[in-house]
Amino acid sequence: MLRRLLIAAACLLLSVQLGAAQNTVKGKISIWLGYPETLEAFKLGQVEFRKKYPNVEVEILTFELREFEAKLAVSVPAGSGPDILALHDFIFPRYYEGGNLAEMPADLAKDVNDPKIIDPVFRDVLTRDGKPWGMPWWSGRNGLFYNIDHLKAAGLDGPPKTYAEVWQYAEKLTQKNEKGELTRAGISLRLTGPSGGTQKFGYFYYQLAGEQMFEPGKKPGTVRVTIAQHIDAAARVLLDHVEHLHGPKKSDDWALKHDAQGFASGAAAMFMRESWVIPFVKKNGPDIKFGVVPVPHDKAWGAFNNLEILSVNKDSKLQAAAWDFIRILQDQAIVNNVLEGSGWVPIRHDRDYGAVLAKEPRFAEMTTPPAGLTLYIEAPNVAYEEMTTRVGEVIQNAFRDASLVGNLDGAKKVMMKAHETAVKILKDNGNYSE
Amino acid sequence: MIPKSGNRFSDKIMRKENSDEAPPRGALAARYVDFRDSIKRDHLLWVVLALGPIFALFCIIRVYPILETIRLSFYRYHPTQRNRPFVGLDNYWRLLEDDSFRTALTNTLQFCVMAVIITLTLAFLVAVLLRSIEKAAPVYELLLYIPVVTPWVPASVIWKWIFDPIHGILNYGLSFLGIPKLAWLQDEHVIIYAIVLVSVWKMLGYFVVVYGVGLRNIPDELLEAAELDGATAWQRLIYIVIPMMKPIILFTVIIATIIFFNVFAPVYVLTASAQGAPAYDFKVVIGEIYQNAFVFYRMGYAGAQSVALLIFVLMLVMIQFALFRDRRGRADV
Repeated sequence: MLRRLLIAAACLLLSVQLGAAQNTVKGKISIWLGYPETLEAFKLGQVEFRKKYPNVEVEILTFELREFEAKLAVSVPAGSGPDILALHDFIFPRYYEGGNLAEMPADLAKDVNDPKIIDPVFRDVLTRDGKPWGMPWWSGRNGLFYNIDHLKAAGLDGPPKTYAEVWQYAEKLTQKNEKGELTRAGISLRLTGPSGGTQKFGYFYYQLAGEQMFEPGKKPGTVRVTIAQHIDAAARVLLDHVEHLHGPKKSDDWALKHDAQGFASGAAAMFMRESWVIPFVKKNGPDIKFGVVPVPHDKAWGAFNNLEILSVNKDSKLQAAAWDFIRILQDQAIVNNVLEGSGWVPIRHDRDYGAVLAKEPRFAEMTTPPAGLTLYIEAPNVAYEEMTTRVGEVIQNAFRDASLVGNLDGAKKVMMKAHETAVKILKDNGNYSE
Repeated sequence: MIPKSGNRFSDKIMRKENSDEAPPRGALAARYVDFRDSIKRDHLLWVVLALGPIFALFCIIRVYPILETIRLSFYRYHPTQRNRPFVGLDNYWRLLEDDSFRTALTNTLQFCVMAVIITLTLAFLVAVLLRSIEKAAPVYELLLYIPVVTPWVPASVIWKWIFDPIHGILNYGLSFLGIPKLAWLQDEHVIIYAIVLVSVWKMLGYFVVVYGVGLRNIPDELLEAAELDGATAWQRLIYIVIPMMKPIILFTVIIATIIFFNVFAPVYVLTASAQGAPAYDFKVVIGEIYQNAFVFYRMGYAGAQSVALLIFVLMLVMIQFALFRDRRGRADV
């Protein structure tokens, strides 16, 4: 009994000591965000953090995504970046390879390495030399969004389930005026913005090829290009795009409003995007009745994921406090706020999102992937932006080429050019993998 | 005794000059004389002191970045990578086989030629017309000048709405003329005209004012004499006005070429936000430099592109100087 009392007293003393130590920490933690929609969650974290660290000021700045990336690229290597690095998966390698990331505390690393908490697909992206270098926080998982009224009016019972059905449904859902001009896209395709375009083209490619166009290579940070290996699938996807942009099957047009804006305004009956679209459409198209389902499959069934990673700057003077802030961001109330407020999907399996799902059941498609759906993530590498931009330019230029309709050989040539473009850039950057 | 000329202004000057010779009185005046004498004695020192800070600032914000850009162009420089090797002329060789840069250069050249010719021709015609309504001209010049002081970004955003293929006012207006809807920013063949239109609208007022100043400096006597000799308005324009305006025209051609060759903001804004309102990815040279430097972080390669742009624009300016040289073989400025 006495022994237990002594242990309890020692624990109490230790916790008081620790609390006192946190109280004595002084300084400022700075956080920069490229996704301002998660600001509210960080502010919630800030309130909790100040309770633990009353003498540490927290500065949270938000920027436009590209501006954020540029500021990080210039400031972090110079030792003047923020303390907490909220890194997207494709910019993560820059800072790992630049030696800018602080070592992760053991308890957080243990969470990352626990497959019951974090899906290994996310762990692998940020693990180097057997150690994780950040806490994966949320992901953008794609799905097919469909307008319930448009489908009903076209006599369709439910959303398409297969790759082939997507195109058939698109043709049925397309609306034209008396002049033959499209007034509504059956499916809003990603026709511009080459880097994002490559990603969205990949949504289709994965289902036919069974893997991504750019898979992780043998060594971390390297990339294997798969287009030549799956040239038939690649050409099929390109042809399906071209044939639904020109000619009798035309289901989309450059002149229409696109993407989430197009969908929220009723200018598109279907499109594929990530979960942030749910709050976006609720806000910007309150009259639109919509549903969301996992992406339709073909021989494979995979959902694209992008990932937000929380790391600490190696040059931070308050590394322990910064990691504590990251611990706080794992709280139930905060991850709920991320899901509900921004639509990005928190990825911890050991949290209960029931409260948010009760309010918005459509998030369930994203938080609870159905059995058989593979989650995949792009191969992070330092040449990501350049490679996806240049490949996207090749593909999106081909979308405009009506002579490719029914021209399988022509489509194969285009996709081989895309393959070679990617290989050349990767080789030039030294991260090409056979 | 200062002789009076009868002209109050020249008398004042003469009094001032005369007062310079007379010894000023008092301590303050003595200091002033010392100061004046020191300026005369150490003229060079004073020039250096006066211009030194400006020159230093110019070196820091202009010369140093240019030299640093040239230096970077010989390196493979990624800001987040520790290895930044010297690559010699590799970045320049890469330019030769870069399809995107070639497309951007061709697009920029086409845009620049169209924008310079249309802007300057229109500006000249408007300036000539305004000269015939001398009293009302300042009002029109002011109206035309408003777009010049409007920043590029908001101006381009407004034009983006105007160009909207479905809801835009431009297509709506053209529909009354029976012209079918045009995808101004989405059609790869039309977008260049949309960007030219915005650029001409934006810069026209500036060149109207410049030409207006030039036209006002042509002596009326010359034009009246020609009219008395029976010269028609067209002949007066061709044989008197344009030759007299040659230095101004050379100035405007060079300035317009530099402005339009550096086009970026309108292209960036008109084609940005591609997700909701897609636009054709119209490549221009500055856009390529921006993308390589701040999206791909290929600073060295972007440096090489910048140097290539500098050389190209310099060559264009030199060609323009050569074309506008007068018969005596000197630049007519």
